This record gives sequence, structure tokens and C-alpha cells, in this order.
Amino acid sequence: MNWKNVLYLLRVDRKSGRLIRGIKATRYKENTFLAYWPYWTATIVGILGGLIANYLAVLVYQQGVPSGVQGSLPPLDQASVNFFTVLPTLVLVASLIFTLLQQIQLAGLKASSQVMYWLPITWQEHTLASILANLSGWPIALVIGLSAGTLIYSAFNGIIIQALLTAAIMCGAAFMASSITEILRIIQVRLTGAIYKSSGRGAVWVRLVGTLAFFIIFYIIYIYLTSGFSSFVTNLTSAQNAAWYVPFIWLALLLSYTIKGLVLQAVLFFTLSVFFIAGLYYLAIELNKRFGLYEPPAITVQKSGVYMPKVGLLGKFGFSNVEAAIIKKDLRAFTRRRELISVYIAPIIMIIIPLFNSFGVINGGIAPSGQTILAFTAIIFVLPACFMAMLLGEVLIGEEGQSVWRIYASPISGKNLVRSKYFFIVLFSTIILLISGTIGIIFYHPSIEYTTIGFLETFFVVLTLGSVALSVGFKGPDFSQTRRARMIRQEWSLIGLVVCGLAGLAVVAPLAPIAIFSFLSITVSYNIYAAVAISAVISILISAIFYRINVGLANDLLKKAQI
Amino acid sequence: MYPQSAVELRNVTKRYNELVAVNNLNLSIGKGEIFGLLGPNGSGKSTTLKMLVGLVQPDSGDVNVLGLDVLKQPVEVKRLVGYVPESANIYEFLTGIEYLDFIADVYEVPPEEKKQRITEYLKALQLEGREGDMINSYSDGMKKKISLISAFVHKPKLLLLDEPLNALDPRSARIVKDFLHSLKAQGVTTIMSTHVLEIAEAICDRIGIMYQGSILALGNMDELRRTASLPNSGLEDIFLKLTGTEDLRAVVEELTR
Repeated sequence: MNWKNVLYLLRVDRKSGRLIRGIKATRYKENTFLAYWPYWTATIVGILGGLIANYLAVLVYQQGVPSGVQGSLPPLDQASVNFFTVLPTLVLVASLIFTLLQQIQLAGLKASSQVMYWLPITWQEHTLASILANLSGWPIALVIGLSAGTLIYSAFNGIIIQALLTAAIMCGAAFMASSITEILRIIQVRLTGAIYKSSGRGAVWVRLVGTLAFFIIFYIIYIYLTSGFSSFVTNLTSAQNAAWYVPFIWLALLLSYTIKGLVLQAVLFFTLSVFFIAGLYYLAIELNKRFGLYEPPAITVQKSGVYMPKVGLLGKFGFSNVEAAIIKKDLRAFTRRRELISVYIAPIIMIIIPLFNSFGVINGGIAPSGQTILAFTAIIFVLPACFMAMLLGEVLIGEEGQSVWRIYASPISGKNLVRSKYFFIVLFSTIILLISGTIGIIFYHPSIEYTTIGFLETFFVVLTLGSVALSVGFKGPDFSQTRRARMIRQEWSLIGLVVCGLAGLAVVAPLAPIAIFSFLSITVSYNIYAAVAISAVISILISAIFYRINVGLANDLLKKAQI
Repeated sequence: MYPQSAVELRNVTKRYNELVAVNNLNLSIGKGEIFGLLGPNGSGKSTTLKMLVGLVQPDSGDVNVLGLDVLKQPVEVKRLVGYVPESANIYEFLTGIEYLDFIADVYEVPPEEKKQRITEYLKALQLEGREGDMINSYSDGMKKKISLISAFVHKPKLLLLDEPLNALDPRSARIVKDFLHSLKAQGVTTIMSTHVLEIAEAICDRIGIMYQGSILALGNMDELRRTASLPNSGLEDIFLKLTGTEDLRAVVEELTR
């Protein structure tokens, strides 16, 4: 094992995922402040979390708590240590979800990069570097955050040794999760290749549906775990001891027995854990040796034969050939590029969460009622389509990637570009609105009046956010095709969130009094349709202003033609 | 010989930070001419081509293409130009046919012509049977063919080809060379950059040798021979002499030590 090779590969992998800019640069440039933001953010959040946890502990155990309640609580150090013993398993589960989601979001092109395969690098080095690369993303940020929190907390409570042990074992848990991800990655590459081959022309749709299903399943697990966190932790503590034979919790048991001073059990679970992690690593190596060089088959979309240009519908809606061509191209991109499929996830999750909440699947099994249901109806109508509009607006320019030269070199005007991109945003977001609205009607049975207002008002917000977010997309596109293409620069993504939030609020503002009166149960005569009409005017005004701004920004982008 | 200029570059300079990619370049290329741009790596060939299609803005100077100012009328210029970049960074999620369809639509080629031209080009460059596959499964040569077809499909008046024959098989390379000659007869101007000196010598009417952002020598083969004072030499010797790299023995000796 040449450790330098592992380090070099790891460095390349991590840098390829960071903020690399090509703008106005002949040399490699990296914003180091942003490059390491997950780590320093995790440290700050961890320290603050530790301080708050300590404050709460002091509050609960020393001040202002009824003696009856206090008496039923376990001693503070014991409760703390119990919590620590759950952390490795939590890190394992969360890391597994994070790393698997990261894998699925990799750009297809970059995921199959084979540079390392012809370099004098062994499979052992390649596999270890790949595992460490998985690890060095969100999992290590999570470990840093939790370690910072536990260390700060334990410093105040005299359990620093236990906290240090917890931190070390969390690193092991993250490594275990990354190894599992590496194994699943190789299996997934091999399996998807075989599925595409057998799917023939349907491969594009198989990929779209499969990727969406993958995302949804993992996000549901994630939401389920995080929403019922306290009960999950309580259940996990007891479950860990009962399910000692499950290898994934051996690290947690190692920590538990070490803290309790049970040397024999600690040595046993240490040995078992080391063997299990080593086993995972060697399994990953063997799978890489066997399938690592696998090339997925070509996806054939059309049958070979005489070429027949299709006459599209878009022309009938007043779009020029150029605009229709861009819209069709983007439509294909969003059904075929794996990294773009993730854009659909936020709206889908925003449909699932209210449904889960309203039926008590999460939130401790308590189903809300009455006015809260009305709020959920509003959420399911408004949020998915609006988020879709915002996300699409922000990424629709940057998603062109390095192929953006094709747009620059073609006879496309700023107006062409804005019209096609804006139409695409509104079209897709309206489809989402129709889907989420229908689900809202089926599950919550809103009145015809609320349904009409829900559809109209959301459509106005979509029109506005599409226009506003597109200007953000024009201002801060990220064309660099890293392993996980960002498509929008991080600072502009944040700016977009704020600006879109303000614009959305401005559109729904005329309806705010109704919501407030309704919440306060005050009956006031208020013409709701007049409010909707004012909303429409505000929406059209903002959209029109930003449309003009967008044309200017598009012309500027095409003129500068910077990749 | 070429009374009307297809391309005029006047005092054009382009800098990337401290690096001067193109340095006060003056160049005039006539209509119907096949012009070869030669030069070592980093000499400014690709930047010059990119400035002609509006992919790079010059820091100073005028760039005029077919009587139009590239900076003032970019869309009109692009409509008349076919461009093939050095590396084929094209939409890999589209199939070959979808990509060409997209390009033809962007250049507003009428549907019947579009169908006829695309079918002919696919057949000529032996891409039939693979046009329905997604481009990400194509070899580099096939991607280059798709790039070339996309530059030809709208019948441009000016072709800007950056290393056009790289990765092409001999048959396709020959077809492209012959095709460029037939386009010349129709008055189409071609500017191509290449490192393959035999190709430049065989098909270019005039050759410009660029070095450190400037034109070092310009003319047909006879004129270049005179400039280099090498009356009976081929382009390789002329190129090496003019770029000051003719004595390579020391370099080779150093490498073989």
C-alpha cells in the first residue's frame, strides 16, 4: 500500500468536488473559505450545541424543575454517557444516507472518469482513497460537529475521556458507513448497467424513475429518523443492547462497554469491529477488482433509420425555432442527466412531509386537526411548485456546464435565452402545482373557493419566483463540471433564497390579512378575490421588471461568453 | 487574389491576467480562402478563432467578420459562422440526431433541408446506425464528426475549425478535406488551426504561423519559404525555423540521457 498514492487520489477527488472556477482565470483558483465551510460550520454548530446542551442540563438538573420530575431522571453523567453510546450508530446511519445520496448526485460523466485506472495504482489504494473521499464530505463534518459538541459538553461535566472515546469511535463508524457506500456504489454501477442494457429504449425512463425512487426512499428514512429524534435515540439505546449480534452496532457496544469499564466485552467488540471494517474494506476491493472497470452500455433512445424531424407544439405557442430547440434540449437534460434529477426531490419531499405530518406518520404519531390541516393544505399547494420555480430558475443557466460554449457560439439572442428558460421554469413548476394541488384536494378536501385561490395564488408566485430566480441564475452561474455540479455559485444561491423569499411574500401579502384574521378567529368583511387580483398585479409587475433585467443579464452573459 | 475580406482583425489584443494570448494582431482573410493557422501550443490560435465567433472578447482592436462587427452584431455573425472547437464539449445527454436537430433549429434550417442535410452528412461520415445513441457513448472521433456536421448543417459562409481532423479516421478526414475544397468553390471561407503540417500544406491557400500571440509569418508556401530562406523545404522545417525551434538535437539528447 502506497499511502502517498491514496493521499494524492483523495486530494484530487476532494478538489474536484469543491468550488473551482474557470471565470477570468488561466490558473486554478479555489475559494478556500467556502471550500471548507462544512467543517468550520460543523465546528461552530457543535460548540454552540455543546454549550446549549450544558445549559439545558444545568437547567434540568439544578434549577427550576419539580422535584418529582428530577427524581425520575437518571444521574446527569449516566444520562450523558447513555447518549454518547448512541452517537456511533447515529453517525453510521446518517453517514450512510449522506454518502449514498452524494453518490447518486454525481455527474454521470464524472462518475465514470477512469484516469486512475491506467495509473500505477493498486485496487487497494484506489478503494481506500474512494472510501476516504466519501468520508471526507458530510460524514466527517458530522463527526466534527458531534465531537465538538460532546467535548465542550463533557468539559463542563467531567466526562472528557468518555467524549474523546466517543469521538474516536464515531470516526470508525463514519469509515464503516463509507465502506458500505463504496460496496453499494460498485454494485449499483454494475446493476444499473445491466438494467439499462436490458431496458433498451426505456433505459432513460428506468433511470429517471429509479433515481427518483432511490432519493425518495432515503429521504423518507432520513425524515423519519430526524423528526422523531428523541424517541429514536431512546429506542436505539435499548435496541443496541438487544441486537448485539448486528455488526453495525458493534462500535456502539464497544464504546458502551469501554465506558462501563467491562474490559473483556470491550476487547471482544473492538476485535469484532476491526474484523468487520476490514472485511468491508476487502469486500470493496474485491468488488472493485471485478466490476471497477465496467463500462455501462450505450443508451439507445431512437431506433436507427431514416431521420424524421418532428414538428413541435411549441411553435404554435409563439416560440421561435431557437426557443423551442432550447426548451426541448432542457427537457431532455432534466429527464436524462442524473445530477439534474435531484432538482425534483425538494418538491416531492415537500409533498411527503405535510402528508406524513397530517396523518401522524411522524411527529410522534400525533395527527393534527382543524386549522393545522388548513395550513398543511396551503403548504402542499404553495411550497412544492414555488421551490421548483426557485430551484429551476437558479440552476437553469449553470446546468449548461462546459457545453455553454454551444449557446455562446450559436445565433441565440438574450431574449431567446430568457424566453425559453423562463417558459421551461413556469411549465415545470405548473406541472408540479397541478400534481401537488391534486394531492392536496384528494387528501384534505378544501372548498372550491380555497382550491381556486390555492391554484391561482401559487401560479402567481411561480411566475414571480421564476423570473426573480432566473436573474440570480444569470448573475451567479457555476459552469464548472465538478463531480457534483453545483450550477449556481453558493453565495448567489443564498442571495436567491432571500430575494425569492421577499418576492414571494410581496405577492402573497394581499392575502396576509385574511390569514391573520382567520388565525385570530376574527370575522372581518374582506374581499378575497380583490386580494387575489392585487396579488396578480404585483406578480405581473415583479415578473415583468425581472424579465427586462433578465434580458439585459442574458445579453451580458452572451457578450462576455465566459465559461 | 481575394478582393473582399471575409475576416479582418485590426490591432487585436487579448490578455488573460498577465498572459498575453493575442498581441496586437492584424490579419485579413479573403472570401473563399482556406487559411491555416499554425503555431506551438499556447501561441494564440484558439483564442483568435474564439474571438471570431464571439466566444472571447478582445481587450482592444476590431474584429470584423463578413462585413459585420463581432462585438456589435454578434447574433448576425454567429448565424453566418460554423465553429468546431478543439475539444468536443457537446451535450452528451442528447443523441447524435437530437443534437444535430437542436443545432439545425437554432440556425433555423427549414425542416426538409434539415432532414436531407443531416441524413447525407451522417451517411458520409459513417454515423448511420449510431445516431440514436446518446453522445456520451460515442468515441472521440464520433464526437468530432458530430461537431463537424453541426458546423456544416446550416451552410455557413465562414468555417472556423479548431483542430478539425483530430481523432478522425483516414476516410472521414479525406472526406472533410475534399468537402472543404468543394465549399471553397462555393465561396465559403475556412480558417483552421492544426498541428498536422502536412494537412495545412496540402489544403490551405495561405498559412499564418503564430507565435506568442503574433503572426510570425504569413503567405502561401512559396512566400513562407522565402521568409524562412529555405527555398526547397517543407512546412515542418519552415515552421521550426521561424519559431526558433529548429535545432532540437540538444533537447532530444537531454531527454535520452
